[in-house]
Amino acid sequence: MTSRLSIPGSAAAAGSPAPNAGVALGVGLAGTALTAAGFFVSDPRRVALSWLVAVGYWTMIVVAMLMLVLIHHIFDASWGVIIRRQYEHWLAALKWLFLLFLPLLAISAYLRPGLIWLWMNPGSLLPGTHETVGEDILYFKKAGYLNVGFFTLRLVLFFGIWIWLAYVVRRNSFRQDADGDLKWTRSNRCWAAAGLPLSGFAITFASIDWFKSLDYHWFSTIYGVYFFATGMRGALAIGVLLMLWLHRRGDYRGILNRNHLHSIGQLMLTFTVFWAYIAFSQYFLIWNANVPEETFYFNLREYGDWYWVGMSLLFLYFAFPFCYLLSYRHKVEPHWARFIAWWILVMLFVDICFNTLPAARDAAGHPHPFFSLLMGWHFTALAGVGGICVWAYLRSFSTTKLLPIRDPRIAECLSYQEASAE
Amino acid sequence: MSEKSYGLIAMFDTPADIMQAAEAVRDAGYKSWDVITPFPIHGMDRAMGVRRSLVPRISLAGGIIGFVTGMGLIWWSGAWNFKLVVGGKPLFSPLFAFPISYELTILFTAFATILGMFLLNRLPMHYHAVMKQAHFQRAMDDRFFVVIEARDPRYDRAATEALLARLGGREIEELED
Repeated sequence: MTSRLSIPGSAAAAGSPAPNAGVALGVGLAGTALTAAGFFVSDPRRVALSWLVAVGYWTMIVVAMLMLVLIHHIFDASWGVIIRRQYEHWLAALKWLFLLFLPLLAISAYLRPGLIWLWMNPGSLLPGTHETVGEDILYFKKAGYLNVGFFTLRLVLFFGIWIWLAYVVRRNSFRQDADGDLKWTRSNRCWAAAGLPLSGFAITFASIDWFKSLDYHWFSTIYGVYFFATGMRGALAIGVLLMLWLHRRGDYRGILNRNHLHSIGQLMLTFTVFWAYIAFSQYFLIWNANVPEETFYFNLREYGDWYWVGMSLLFLYFAFPFCYLLSYRHKVEPHWARFIAWWILVMLFVDICFNTLPAARDAAGHPHPFFSLLMGWHFTALAGVGGICVWAYLRSFSTTKLLPIRDPRIAECLSYQEASAE
Repeated sequence: MSEKSYGLIAMFDTPADIMQAAEAVRDAGYKSWDVITPFPIHGMDRAMGVRRSLVPRISLAGGIIGFVTGMGLIWWSGAWNFKLVVGGKPLFSPLFAFPISYELTILFTAFATILGMFLLNRLPMHYHAVMKQAHFQRAMDDRFFVVIEARDPRYDRAATEALLARLGGREIEELED
């Protein structure tokens, strides 16, 4: 295609104003403050776990966005240019997520040892027994990995990798806006090749450290991929919502077409199936082998209302979105696509809860119920972390152009067609 | 010419010409017609007014049949025809039937997709009337063709030919079936 494509005015304008950044920051700070207050007036362990779930939820989504950007670069993709800049803005949230994670470490390692991760305190009583972590042979065997010093080092390493990669892809992309130099695209491609395995390892070990070690007796080799899959679903859902938001606001008028929505919708379907594949594999192998060392994990998750939470994941997080997303119309018509994107974001939260919360048990060794008044702290925490992430996104949003207008693939992206038209 | 007419064919020189011709033929209300090009032209489906293909529906049917076959196979063989307890598991559980059902879903979907595509395109087809056009080899190189079939209710030998000529079509010929 030799003809120069004219870029509509809104995309070329230097950054669109994002008026709600202040509101997002207000919601974020209020949610954070409320959760912090809850830590002192309510059950501290369960409030801290709410914060862990919220930080985990947003971190998995934003890291998946980072990986989507890297995947986009390594495949030299063209259609994704339309949404890449928005993901790059979201990556500004990573440094804040690191900051928001630190209270968890401070509480569980120093202020109230073992409050979140039992193994951080040798005196912690193992749930449902009279044994402490200090007397547990299984802890001794794993202590070389599970100790506060190494945990802290890894935490810094994970966020270090993500924040560095986010810095590089953002810098390269923003600088290309100014000079149009192709070297920025090449640099991004090289960093993507190095960054994908690094961030893949980081997300795997992060989920082992933060979530699986809540119940350090248990093990599953597929655990890290599970969080990658679920985070990816969230990242794509937010991508769809951003596309539709910017279209409704007018910024994407004449830029976004059905084929872009179809492509991201197909990825949503793909990762719905991928998530189910991972979740089923984990369950099936444990069910089939039927070894007590592994099955107790799912026995806990069949206790009380957790059984129904598990069933809701099967039917409402897999079966329903899968059937729904098979349809072409549901992927490309704004109101249908918006509905399923919100649906996935809600069920993603339930998914993270299912994987983490039953690890916290009462004196009898039973998990606390999913539905209780204490659930309120989930929402304050989710709003707290989410508000700050959205604020970081909006703050970055207003500093650059709407699209990477000098990306070598931009013309191909804006005239994007598929073999089968609507 | 004793044989019955297949329709009219016209040759065009550029992708832009063929796009405009396709839009005009579509707007004239023809239904049984086609465009032949050496390479896919983006936006041609819309210019021709072609609806989305029926193949996905056939694929879905294949997928459902595959899933049911997998579940049915495992249930019938393990819990009905030859009851056998394996590894202390129930005679039938959707869990261990799932990998087979999943694979059969994919396999049958693929079969249905290929089969549906062949059927809807009426393939394999060893003869087609357009091959008689003198310049037709160039449809594989650098020329673009519109064919309007005689079975179209709007087809009229003189009027259709005039339409194609007005759109800039060259080498307009009537094809025999």
